[in-house]
Amino acid sequence: MTSTAAASTHHGTEHGAGPRRGYLMRPGWVRAAWCTATFFLIGMFVVVALRGLAGWDPVWDWEIIILVAGMVTAPIGFLLGMGTFDYWLYWVSGRPTLVDDHANHGAYRWTDYFKVNTDHKVIGIQYLVTTFFFFLAGGFLAMLFRAELAQPGMQFFDTQTFNGLVSAHATLMIFVFIIPAFAGLANFAVPLMLGAPDMAFPRLNALSFWMLPVAGALFLTSFLAPGGAFATGWTSYAPLASEQPFGQVFFNMGVQWAGASSIATALNFLVTIITMRAPGMTFWRMPLLVWANFTTSLLVVVATPFIAGSQFFVMFDRVMHTSFFTPDNGGYVLGYQHIFWFYSHPAVYIMVLPGFGIISEIIAVFSRKPIFGYRLMAISLIGILALAFSVWAHHMFVAGMADWLRIPMMITTLLIAVPTGVKVFSWLATLWEGKLHLNTPMLFALGFISTFVIGGLSGIYLAAVPIDIHASDTYFIVAHIHYVLFGGSVFTIFAGIYYWFPKMTGRMYDERLGKLHFWLTFVSFNATFFPMHWVGLDGMPRRVADYAGTYGALNMVISIFSFILGASVVVFVYNMVTSWARGPIAESNPWKAMTIEWQVSSPPPVFNFDEIPQVVGSPYEYGVPGAKHVVLKGGALQETPA
Amino acid sequence: MLAIAAAAAVVTTLVAVLIRWLPHSASEEMDRITFTYWFATVICIAIFSLVIGVIVYSVLAFRAQPDDDTDGPPIHGNTTLEIVWTVVPAILVIAIGIVSAIVLSKNADAGSNPLQVKVFAQQFAWRFEYPGKVRSEELVLPLRRHVKFEMTSADVIHSFWIPQMGQKQDVVPGIMTSIVVTPTRTGRFTLICTELCGLGHATMRAPVRVLEQAAFDSWLAKQKAAAGGGAGGGTTTTGGTDTGTTTGASDALGAKTFASSGCGGCHTFAKAGSDGQVGPSLDDLTGAAQKAGESVPDYVRQSIVDPNAVVVAGFQPGVMPQTFGDSLSTDELDALVAYVSGEESQ
Repeated sequence: MTSTAAASTHHGTEHGAGPRRGYLMRPGWVRAAWCTATFFLIGMFVVVALRGLAGWDPVWDWEIIILVAGMVTAPIGFLLGMGTFDYWLYWVSGRPTLVDDHANHGAYRWTDYFKVNTDHKVIGIQYLVTTFFFFLAGGFLAMLFRAELAQPGMQFFDTQTFNGLVSAHATLMIFVFIIPAFAGLANFAVPLMLGAPDMAFPRLNALSFWMLPVAGALFLTSFLAPGGAFATGWTSYAPLASEQPFGQVFFNMGVQWAGASSIATALNFLVTIITMRAPGMTFWRMPLLVWANFTTSLLVVVATPFIAGSQFFVMFDRVMHTSFFTPDNGGYVLGYQHIFWFYSHPAVYIMVLPGFGIISEIIAVFSRKPIFGYRLMAISLIGILALAFSVWAHHMFVAGMADWLRIPMMITTLLIAVPTGVKVFSWLATLWEGKLHLNTPMLFALGFISTFVIGGLSGIYLAAVPIDIHASDTYFIVAHIHYVLFGGSVFTIFAGIYYWFPKMTGRMYDERLGKLHFWLTFVSFNATFFPMHWVGLDGMPRRVADYAGTYGALNMVISIFSFILGASVVVFVYNMVTSWARGPIAESNPWKAMTIEWQVSSPPPVFNFDEIPQVVGSPYEYGVPGAKHVVLKGGALQETPA
Repeated sequence: MLAIAAAAAVVTTLVAVLIRWLPHSASEEMDRITFTYWFATVICIAIFSLVIGVIVYSVLAFRAQPDDDTDGPPIHGNTTLEIVWTVVPAILVIAIGIVSAIVLSKNADAGSNPLQVKVFAQQFAWRFEYPGKVRSEELVLPLRRHVKFEMTSADVIHSFWIPQMGQKQDVVPGIMTSIVVTPTRTGRFTLICTELCGLGHATMRAPVRVLEQAAFDSWLAKQKAAAGGGAGGGTTTTGGTDTGTTTGASDALGAKTFASSGCGGCHTFAKAGSDGQVGPSLDDLTGAAQKAGESVPDYVRQSIVDPNAVVVAGFQPGVMPQTFGDSLSTDELDALVAYVSGEESQ
């Protein structure tokens, strides 16, 4: 055991050389509570003082107080109280800091997962558990509005509440489930796969994670706002969004926190992948999951600032009476959509490229064959990355933008099917003549390919402008996005969690429950979303609380299967919780995979490797006699956390 | 493998053919959209069947025995194959692109003599204006004539769609958007808003009727006569003060404005037969007006023009559109105030 690792074992000590601090001053939930309250009061004081000095009426403007104190300063107080800034503040203020301070590194007991932690493996699990909480919340909202939609007419909610449920469902799923769940999986796997001891910036990594609950909390608490939750869809089009009740601001600001978290993580991945590859790990020897997260992170850092800007501008139109996106005073209504989709189309790839990476790992391992056309697989990721920035206006074929933009955007959109097709065909070729082991991760991978192909093909219909003009803003869109984001992204998230579960927890999940979960999900998913293509093309618009009676029967079928789909998640959660608590102990490499994370113990040692791994070959040399991806001379560090 | 793929192709083709996916077309544009749809569908069925064929065959043929620990053959790739599955899909999607581009340009062609119809959208109602400033709340279209719609919105973004006619176009505040529709069969249809525009979005519809050219001409002439004859037909531009003298016409205009502005979508009002629950009931306003310290007509007028000035307990500010003061003509506003206040009978 190295000296650094030894230093970290006396956990419970606090930062640097300072004395152990008391209950109230120690980083954690107690300090977070009073810091949050204090910072709220500071924000409130600033607002009230400025309004009082300026003579604005009313001085106590609660909307502005909630916006400034509740959505900006209080979250900063929370992050400060939790301790995400401690090291930096010590350093800035010139107090002693320990360069090799690993006091907050690694989880030794379950309570360590509820603290600021700098270990990428702990952060990965923190991400996954937190995002699954929001997944359950978002799914619950979907159950509520599917109950309303089961029959025509209004039964349970008024229309504003319905619009709020739909909007919050999509927002939770996209911003605080799918995007960060992939960040969680990659956080756990990427440094291990690179042969690195951690991410490049572990403290920034911790900060990224802790900004996420702030975003999710804002989205959820918007239901408490007067007038209800934000109700303009996750697209939040101006000028409607600048005229809606106050709940809208919770969306505007929640996106800022989620976006900041996302950007910081992406920067961290880029630096880690570029600078922290183990000796011998050339770019052409990187596992495709690493390639996928590399391209995803490039998309995130370039695109995410655009949605941040668009939401700030919408909010300014509301609170500062600017006219970015209002038709009066020279504002440009369609400008919102251009900026929004310049992020949100790349965001579709942000939400699916990491999934492509996961599937590439799983297909190769469970087919016992090298991935087919490795280099073309990596190049196709780059192709998608490049094209992703040139297709945004295909969301605006009916928006009233310049007519000439339609044809070029249609062509680029159609062309993006080519690299995506290359990936699908390469996965199929990897299956061919393999030795297929149909464990749960593999079932989800195969289920992913079949559902994602449907989502991809319905994307072709939507790329073709004349068909899109008919299908746009109907349930066909709802079907398409769920085939891509559920049949695509969520299936890969499930596949990835089952695949790395033994590595993360050191225990094995229940294979029978896993398969039950797959089949329940696969069948009810298709039965829920496939009929939506039909009702949409036939004339049912999306985002309506009420609809023509002719669609009643199909909507009842859709609602019933959506409840089964909701119930299938219970099987998953039960399996995860019980297996983590008392599942059978897992081997270090139960899938006999070649990538580096499987060559260390399960769960891996706190600092991953006790020596620097030497990468000597491709990560997918299955069936090649004597081939090796990595050499760990002394073997893995055998000690596991207590 | 081929047998499985063929079986998948047969099943998907049956699904594609037996279910009536698209509505029965009612316009030339929808005919072309339907053609594009089938062109893409044939290609998609082929690709989908191939993928499903390979997956199902692989699962059946290449599944490892439980005790089989061996690896598959180390095949790393095949350049020819990789080129084929890059180039062939590229050709197929470009073909779809070319067909789409041609259809798009045809669908945007309004011909030399289209009927021009202006569309005004606002939360949560549609209004139409024909040549000669003939206004209507019903969209009536002539058969087999290009109709060019020019659309604006008074408040937020709406979207214009008649499902059987295919064409769809957002209606955007601040800019004029347009679309061409050429009806091919007579009948009744529904125009629906497809862009989320607020709490009344689901109810923002308008009736559509397609008539033979002759029947359309006589309908238009009748509308023109009605608008020219009665006072306050919605076309006078000067602020008419004749509401008091022609009570019957005013009452009719008030009811018409109430309906066309979508008031009933949110408000209960027995006289108009509406039962909306989103906003306060309009049935007895004396109490609310007293509370606000205003006469009933003043209170009603203020609530229409500046809905946030007085908000009834139990309801939220910012929900009701604030644009009626601009979008309604003076006549319409006067008539609506009289109609809602219940004072037209004096």
